[in-house]
Amino acid sequence: MGAPFSFLRLGLVAQNTLREAVRQRLLHLFVGLALALVLGARGLRDFNFGAPELKFIADCGFGAMTLFGSALTIAATAQLFFSEIENRTALTLLAKPVWRAEFLLGKLVGVALLTALFCALLTGLLAAVLWVREGELMALDPEGFRGGRAVSYAMVALGGWLQWLRLVVLAAFTLLVASFARTQVFAVVCGFGVLVICHLQHLAQEAYTRAGSGVGVALGGLVGGMFPNFQVLSLADSLAAADLPALGTWVRLTAYGLGWALVAGLLAVLSFRRREI
Amino acid sequence: MAPALETRGLVKDFPVGLRGVKLRAVDHLDLTVPAGMIYGLLGPNGSGKSTTIKALLGLVAPSAGECRIFGQPSGEVGARREVGYLPEAPYFYRHLTGRELVGFYGRMCGLGRRELAGRVETVVAQVGMTAAADRAVETYSKGMLQRIGLAQALVHDPRLLILDEPTAGVDPVGSAAMADLIRSLRDAGKTVLLTSHLLGQMEALCDRVAILDRGRLVAEGTVAELAGGAGRHCLEVDRLDEPQLAELRAWLAARGRGLHGVTAAGRGLDAVFLERVGRGQVEGREP
Repeated sequence: MGAPFSFLRLGLVAQNTLREAVRQRLLHLFVGLALALVLGARGLRDFNFGAPELKFIADCGFGAMTLFGSALTIAATAQLFFSEIENRTALTLLAKPVWRAEFLLGKLVGVALLTALFCALLTGLLAAVLWVREGELMALDPEGFRGGRAVSYAMVALGGWLQWLRLVVLAAFTLLVASFARTQVFAVVCGFGVLVICHLQHLAQEAYTRAGSGVGVALGGLVGGMFPNFQVLSLADSLAAADLPALGTWVRLTAYGLGWALVAGLLAVLSFRRREI
Repeated sequence: MAPALETRGLVKDFPVGLRGVKLRAVDHLDLTVPAGMIYGLLGPNGSGKSTTIKALLGLVAPSAGECRIFGQPSGEVGARREVGYLPEAPYFYRHLTGRELVGFYGRMCGLGRRELAGRVETVVAQVGMTAAADRAVETYSKGMLQRIGLAQALVHDPRLLILDEPTAGVDPVGSAAMADLIRSLRDAGKTVLLTSHLLGQMEALCDRVAILDRGRLVAEGTVAELAGGAGRHCLEVDRLDEPQLAELRAWLAARGRGLHGVTAAGRGLDAVFLERVGRGQVEGREP
């Protein structure tokens, strides 16, 4: 008598993972720092090297999301996975009629929900800061805003969405490493390695292609084939409504991010299938 | 009817270091646990008890051989529907209350919401945790953790219970209550596989025992078969003075029997402790 794969059990693991995650002090620290950076963006205007003020505030906000969101994602994924193994809660859970895939993908969905909350919170706050500051600037210089508000808040929302997609991909890769790693530290270090590669892989590909050698092209292709390109999941250098991508582009980007997360998640399941608990 | 548990030629090797050296934790173990009894698995530390249990639960893959639960290969997820497992020194999600924890595991076992509420109340009461069920698990004492652990093992009403050191770290009152509960489960038709270092308790509880040493089965049988092999009886009689003892010796000698030992029988510290502290004081005690 087999037991079919159950999305209900996966959901229960995800819900439990999220409940555990929101109690972690490390999470509170990263969220606090990110909130402080977004709120304090106006106070950092002295460090602005010529970009329009609203763009500078947005860059600060998205930068905080990338920096603290990545650290939060890697730390939370590794910690939530290894706490199950080291505290032996996985022992009790996997002794039930539960597929390992349900357990592992549940963990991934739990972290994805956590990062969704993080991104939603920061995107909402960033939008509020931008809205207030834009209103102040409009009052100071009505001529400069004759055409109405300059910031597209749909673009801000898209920025938050793309940040979330990146964090989900990062969580899936960290989980893939954790599925075979013996220590949490190894998973965390590899998670940061993946982050760097994913941000820089387009540069490596360009360099290899420019070199022109067959080996270089093959290497570039290998890196490109093994890791997603996080530059794809970035906003254009503008917050104007005119630069808002078409719906088809949103869908393609979403498919790109979630596709990579799914591939890494499934590889993690394969790797975890024979792991001894 | 298929036995509750069966291992055939079970071998488990663990790699040690990088040179391909392997440590054999379980060595060609053949074990059959008939349904409806309390079966004890004994052995010193490192004898392979926990590895055998993990192999039975599909948590480690055997290097060779096979394990079956009620006839199904134990690696199959469906086979674990029939099993409730209490690990040694259990550690649970600390942010949940006892009731939430049992409910969580019940849902993981596929119980529907309506059925679950009744089952949670039943098993929480069965282990004497009703009064503390709404407290967070992180506030529980060791004994309470063991009892809530047993509740999660029972929540889906499995036919087989695997209890790894269920009384480790539990005081004599809790230990006696746990033993009573295990007996009642057997009486209700469940099979219980039990490991413990408390040989006295195992002797009193188990219908059959297997003794493992360095991964091998070195003895198996009923307690009477294993412990009664010396062909002796132990009699408890009212106090005898020296002339009466001499008379008894002579009587036995005339029939070709010897009197090998005479001790003054006490009630035992366990009995005194239970009498003074009381078996009824199990439920809801503070850690």
